[in-house]
Amino acid sequence: MPTVSITVNGELRSAEVEGRTLLVHFLRDHLRLTGTHVGCDTSQCGACTVHVDGVAIKSCSALAVACDGASVTTIEGLAVADQLHPMQQAFHENHGLQCGFCTPGMIMSAIDMVRRNGHDLDEHTIRTQLDGNICRCTGYHNIVRAVQAGAAAMRER
Amino acid sequence: MHAPATSTRIGQPVPRKEDLRLITGKGRYTDDMNLDGQAYAVMVRSPHAHALIRSIDSAEAQAVPGVLAVLTGFDFIEDKLNPIPNKTFSMHPAEMPLINFDGTPAFNVSDYPLPADKARFVGEAIAMVVAETIAAAKDGADRVVIDYEPLPCVTYTVDAASPDAVRVRDEHDNICIDAQVGDAEATAAAFRSAAHVARIKTWVPRVAGSPMEPRAAVGDFDAKTGRYTIYTCSGSTLRLRRDIAIVLNVPEPHVRLVIRDVGGNFGTRGAIFPEQPLVGWAARRVGRPVKWTSERSEALLSDYQGRDLAVEAELALDKDGTFLAIRGSNVGNLGSHTGNFSMVQKGVEIMSSIYRMPTAHFRARAVLSHTAPTRPYRSSGRPEVIFVMERLIDLAARESGLDRVELRRRNLILEAELPYKNPFGMVYDSGAYHKVMERTLELADWRGFAERKAEARKRGKYRGIGVANYVDTATGIPREKAELTVHANGSVDVVIGTVSNGQGHETSFAQLINEWLGVPIDKVRLITGDTDIVTVGGGTHSGRGMRLGSIVIWHASNKIIERGKQVVGLLLQKSPGEIAFSNGLFVAAVGGQSMTLSEVAGAVTSRTDLPPELRGPLMAECDETINDAGFPYGCHVSEVEIDPDLGNVEIIRHTTVDDVGRAVNPLIIHGQTHGGIAQGVGQALLEHCFYDASSGQLLSGSFMDYAMPRADVLPFFTTEISEVPSTTHPLGMRPAGEGGTTPALGVVINAIVDALSDFGVTHMEMPATPERIWRAIRGKPQRSRIVPDAVEQQISLT
Amino acid sequence: MHDFTYHHPNLLSDAAGLLGGKPEAKLLAGGMSLLPSLKLRLARYSDLVDLKAIADLQGIKRAGDAVVIGAMTRHAVVAASDVVKQAIPALAVLAGGIGDPLVRNRGTIGGSIANADPAADYPAGVLGLGATIITDRREIAGEDFFLGLFEVALEPGEIITAVRFPIPLRAGYAKLPHPASRFALVGVMVAKTRAGVRVAVTGAAATVFRLTQAEAALDADFSAAALDGIEVDAGEFSSDIHASAEYRAHAITVMAKRAIDAALR
Repeated sequence: MPTVSITVNGELRSAEVEGRTLLVHFLRDHLRLTGTHVGCDTSQCGACTVHVDGVAIKSCSALAVACDGASVTTIEGLAVADQLHPMQQAFHENHGLQCGFCTPGMIMSAIDMVRRNGHDLDEHTIRTQLDGNICRCTGYHNIVRAVQAGAAAMRER
Repeated sequence: MHAPATSTRIGQPVPRKEDLRLITGKGRYTDDMNLDGQAYAVMVRSPHAHALIRSIDSAEAQAVPGVLAVLTGFDFIEDKLNPIPNKTFSMHPAEMPLINFDGTPAFNVSDYPLPADKARFVGEAIAMVVAETIAAAKDGADRVVIDYEPLPCVTYTVDAASPDAVRVRDEHDNICIDAQVGDAEATAAAFRSAAHVARIKTWVPRVAGSPMEPRAAVGDFDAKTGRYTIYTCSGSTLRLRRDIAIVLNVPEPHVRLVIRDVGGNFGTRGAIFPEQPLVGWAARRVGRPVKWTSERSEALLSDYQGRDLAVEAELALDKDGTFLAIRGSNVGNLGSHTGNFSMVQKGVEIMSSIYRMPTAHFRARAVLSHTAPTRPYRSSGRPEVIFVMERLIDLAARESGLDRVELRRRNLILEAELPYKNPFGMVYDSGAYHKVMERTLELADWRGFAERKAEARKRGKYRGIGVANYVDTATGIPREKAELTVHANGSVDVVIGTVSNGQGHETSFAQLINEWLGVPIDKVRLITGDTDIVTVGGGTHSGRGMRLGSIVIWHASNKIIERGKQVVGLLLQKSPGEIAFSNGLFVAAVGGQSMTLSEVAGAVTSRTDLPPELRGPLMAECDETINDAGFPYGCHVSEVEIDPDLGNVEIIRHTTVDDVGRAVNPLIIHGQTHGGIAQGVGQALLEHCFYDASSGQLLSGSFMDYAMPRADVLPFFTTEISEVPSTTHPLGMRPAGEGGTTPALGVVINAIVDALSDFGVTHMEMPATPERIWRAIRGKPQRSRIVPDAVEQQISLT
Repeated sequence: MHDFTYHHPNLLSDAAGLLGGKPEAKLLAGGMSLLPSLKLRLARYSDLVDLKAIADLQGIKRAGDAVVIGAMTRHAVVAASDVVKQAIPALAVLAGGIGDPLVRNRGTIGGSIANADPAADYPAGVLGLGATIITDRREIAGEDFFLGLFEVALEPGEIITAVRFPIPLRAGYAKLPHPASRFALVGVMVAKTRAGVRVAVTGAAATVFRLTQAEAALDADFSAAALDGIEVDAGEFSSDIHASAEYRAHAITVMAKRAIDAALR
């Protein structure tokens, strides 16, 4: 079996994995980082979104071996010590989550949206740029508000 | 935006405590559970909608490296396990009873989690492969050879109700209940005298609840004690434990059920599902814990689904538009199990909604078909019939030439008429139905619509507006229990039989404790979902979580205060009557000496000079059966724009006013409404579990074909809370979880039909897809199945 | 997913060598279609040869009157490329509307084209703009590349290295997204080139095709109005639970007009 070495949330993690091991399973099963979720099997829902070398991708559609040498950030790696990431804080303050299952993916995706589109996000941009993430609980109303607030707060950080 | 919370008491929009876990990836959903030595299960599912199982050959699968066991229905029977019991009716005393018109009992049959005789829907689990890894289990599953004899099937609701339909159960026809409710004679007389009659024949199609967390269960078996532990996601605790124990054929205490974070429910996982007892059984068979996690495509095939109601209904009005009577027939599709008749029980009983309706008569049938079983889904039965009622009113407005808002005004029950007994026997408690509708119309700027419509037309868009009122009946399991323990460090443990599936109980229940005991919310620990700790309770369904939870927590809190007063009285040498309690402090009326709640909690466990009856932990419990139903109600207005070239619908505005009696946490309540609206809009525009009629195959079997609502199909919503205290709840509360969905189907379709009225369109079937709208504009039949137009015209929707 | 041996060569020649003699080996580009199909066990391969490390397959450059896009260039990169936005804005629009942002961060033009999903966007771009597929062996005209449902003119072991898009005078792309998958229910690329107008349609049939009747009308008058009265024959079109062939035929005319309007903006 191939060995992969991936820097996950700042820490170098190595493991022997099968070629077919998906990044999400490497995170969940090998590293027990269970904050990254699997909500579908056709790359629609985005619950598995993580950052690979600073870019958000669906970790259910990437091989762990293909991320050898890469730097991966998951939801567990966002908060610095006890300080929440501004996007996490915004989801909390704006009630941008209910059951919380899609939330890690939403937050990771939202942060990437700021990378791509900047800090001043209008409603239309947020809604269209969120189409890789599905939520069943919130009707997106408070998620959109949270992303808007979080994007602005990220500027100040 | 809401004003931020100024305290953490009842009525404040307090940001949720549970968020801090969930936004940092520390939630614990079922698939996050990993037990030492666990094996993995994969289900082998039927590719046929209906087939005899001639034999199952698992030899080749057993030989796959890593495969530990291949289990089938034959093994299940051999192990003397039991089928899953179905509880078909709500027996809640406030509910309208349903009985067969000929007096015979309703047909109800239990279902094997792995059937050994027949497959009855595409996706039904037929065998289970347990292996060292999921991959090995899948390899094994690929090699299980099942010899099927395919049989003809029936999937569509009305087809299944036909007397010559293929039977799902050999021993009985597909009609499980055929009830007549209301007054046939009076209704017929009313129709004879009617000046106007509005008619509708429609089908509220089937949808998938699709909580984002796929179903999962981890089973463990302790051979020494003979005890099972099942970790799973559900809306139910003790009822689920009971059902699992029945299936595993052990006494209830031999099953421990653990529910931690649950990634959504919406009703479709309120009931036991086959894999929950199966992982326990498998754990016993292989001697190791066994985990099963559904994949999404598997979930779309085998999760309990929702809705699926065919309706024919008529509304009679006099010449002034006063409602005289309503009558019709509702046929609900149960799928392949006699699971739950809620769609025709909860549905029919509020068919007349909150309108004055002198009389009514309905036939209610629930039928089996070769499709996945259905269960209550977000507001169960009520969105369907409110859709019908609100469509009928708009049709009646067109028929009579009366204004549709005026028609509603004329017939909405007045505050002075409450409590009001509807023609099905349901007694609505209290409410300001007129005020809420008028406020919604005002918020939605109904008056300004004509201008917006004209402006849209200049852009080539057809704009429409719709209004719909609603009522819900909230019943559910009536018994609930809370156990409160106050600790000397000032913290409070609350053990209760409800379970949160995303509704934020850790916060809203803590607000109750903060209000009544003055304990800060971060010192309140909510303990739920572990049957080793929780002994009584009904879980979360039918708007019962806060509705019943608040009552038992309130009573238990009062008991704590009473005992505290006795203790403080004794210690301060006063009578208990001289001690007042507020904000966590016991104060003597005379002298002003005081003790905090935590000091009292410390005293009762540490002091030896207290009488025995006051010694011991400061705890209290309340175990109550609450037989009153709740009647949340409200109004929605929706405004849409249609692109006539393609038939695309854009929801421009959606405005709601929901009466929750007394709001505990408005932040959470608005969130519930938003999510509920999205599920209603999803059904109105996008979602459909599409079964092919001839093959019984599900054609919407993944998120590539099952259209979930996404952020870009929804607008910001305008939601407002009304608080007219409920008279059936001691604290005035009404449930808040279903009002977003209940009228949303009807209001969106009403808005679409309004937008299309210039084209002569009078009704749209759901989902109102671009193609259906495009066809309606052109006077073509709306497709319900994939057939040529000529055939479509021959098919009755109902 | 069945297991396979994973390779990630740095050189194109190594990639070709790894494929040689292995009939069940498969190239891995962005993996946005390949990995889901493996997960659902719809396909099985002995080896996956990942092209991500091959520098030659990356990048976008202007080459005379054409834009050349490396096969492993991700959709998000094409959508954000100043070169593309300046030379062929319609292509940037097309790339920016594929799937969703997370898919666009990963999916590649080469992978999309080689997969030839009947509802993918890029095939309409290739055919509509008259692009040329450059492989490690030869150049293939877009015209000759898409043969049918998931079927292209690549030989076993042949690797797409880049796609060359001639810069049109004007072009527009309009897509009616599938409500669930966000592929194209219908997608139309309209391009006005020196050699005439080209109209390519994806999503409606087993493979991308040119709408010649519309091209003739637009050659005479490049305006949306020129398509009034054009009836598209639904004969061979796809019919499924989301749209009938008849609706798709209608939507093609609507989307073509919108693509023209976009081209004229």
